[in-house]
Amino acid sequence: MLEEVNIALSQISCRIGDKKYNLNKMKEQIKQARENGANLVIFPELALTGYTLRDLVYESAEPIPGPSTNLLTEVAKKENIHIVLGMVEQSEKASGVLYNTSVLLSPKGFVGKYQKMYLPTHSVFEEKRYFRPGYNLPVFETAVGKLGLIICYDVFFPETVRLLRLKGAQLIICISASPAVRRKFFETLTVARAIENTVFLAYVNLVGIENGLQFWGGSRLIAPNGSIISQAKYDDDDLVMGKISYADLKRTETFVPTLRDLRPELFASLKEQLENL
Amino acid sequence: MITLELNATVLKLDLPSVEAKIKRFIKDYIEKSGAKGVVLGVSGGVDSCTTAALAALSLGGDKVLGLMLPEEETINKTDIHHAGLVAKKFGFNLETIDISPTLRACVNSLPVYDKNDKLSKGNLKARIRMVYLYYYANRLKRIVCGSSDKSETMMGYFTKWGDAAADISPLMDLYKTQVRQLAIHIGLPPEIAKKPSSPALWPGHLAEEELGVKYETLDLILYGLEHFMTTEEIAHQLSVSTQLVEDIKRRWQTMEHKRRLPLTTKLGYRTVGADFRLPYTTQ
Repeated sequence: MLEEVNIALSQISCRIGDKKYNLNKMKEQIKQARENGANLVIFPELALTGYTLRDLVYESAEPIPGPSTNLLTEVAKKENIHIVLGMVEQSEKASGVLYNTSVLLSPKGFVGKYQKMYLPTHSVFEEKRYFRPGYNLPVFETAVGKLGLIICYDVFFPETVRLLRLKGAQLIICISASPAVRRKFFETLTVARAIENTVFLAYVNLVGIENGLQFWGGSRLIAPNGSIISQAKYDDDDLVMGKISYADLKRTETFVPTLRDLRPELFASLKEQLENL
Repeated sequence: MITLELNATVLKLDLPSVEAKIKRFIKDYIEKSGAKGVVLGVSGGVDSCTTAALAALSLGGDKVLGLMLPEEETINKTDIHHAGLVAKKFGFNLETIDISPTLRACVNSLPVYDKNDKLSKGNLKARIRMVYLYYYANRLKRIVCGSSDKSETMMGYFTKWGDAAADISPLMDLYKTQVRQLAIHIGLPPEIAKKPSSPALWPGHLAEEELGVKYETLDLILYGLEHFMTTEEIAHQLSVSTQLVEDIKRRWQTMEHKRRLPLTTKLGYRTVGADFRLPYTTQ
């Protein structure tokens, strides 16, 4: 496993429902990322199709692994790079069951996937109408580190990143499609999740305008002490690089020993309180 | 508990950010739709002048055509002067067409026309303007850019299929007093930015008189309703009667029919306007 990893944050704007166009854009970005020395390139939530699909979600869904991930796996092999992207997943067992999924591919092939657990269904968001929530938070041991995947609104729930960290994740990859009015929330919470868990966090947000929603970009790579390693532009397509060194985890864990100081007995009480909210 | 305080501060905007977002929105829509530009109705009031100016800043003046569509009953030299000032300053084209002959022709051909029914005639004027705007848009392969603001839209204070008819309405999420802030910010003359609003459906027609409340108060009442405040809380904070707030709330709710596609009854598998839900895809 690499001790130092070069990460490319690729915040792209997408054409709604146009997988061919979006895939081509991703391929160009992957090539560029590789030229910049990236070992891992990350795309936003639902980058394969755009976010505001509404009923187009049904015709955009595909199994994972499936045609698009197979195609991108070939690119991962050719470019010798790890890839994370968001897409609509269709269940192999029930075609009407869809997930908002983050996929991890490596030069060796398909690694795994994460199905979004917290589906926002308020304000302009309507994810529960279309998607089934996921039930698992896996950690993937790869050549670029132990990776935990979350998606957008998951970051509002500290237990997601906490659990991934307790399972051994060193780098949390949060892909997102956040519209402009929510920027402050995400800029606060992404840093908080990194600090409270002493973990690296890569946040990659969508850009562009879909259905009147302006996605703000501002992707960033955050160190376990909360400092910003690299930051992409606001409101425009961008590709930025950042390097992380897993040796920093030990130093930060010692300086801010949140994991050592966790109190397990509180979690049972949390569960009890939540069940009676 | 911290209460939401209803005062002018809550309506203050991050003006550079709002300006950038609106310009980006207009440009993005035009690029994706493949339209050659926008056509706007320009009355000389703050909403239409601000929209036209922002469109020109976003697209360049050559892609913005303002149409002044006066008619003889309500023609106002100050408004015409103001529209000219803004067109010159922001560099967009402005054409003036007197719609009086069309209005007369319509009126003369309507067996049920009643000269005492000024509302029906006023709405007819707004709908005639809509016809002109869409004719120009079709001919020039452009889209119609509306200038409705949030105060009017929430109150249903517009002519159905008339002045609110448009392909995009960039100011529709800004209250009237916020549009005035934005107008000053982008450099509209204060006499335009602060001018009392008028739908000009009949002579001497003033919005605040007809609505029965100043925009400074109306906007705060609407802001409170937007933020789920009770009518009692709003009335108490603004020192206005609960009746006034309730009347505004009722009007906001009962005018939903003006803001949507016509209601139908569900018969099919997926129904337009109900559960047939598609995104805007303009490519």
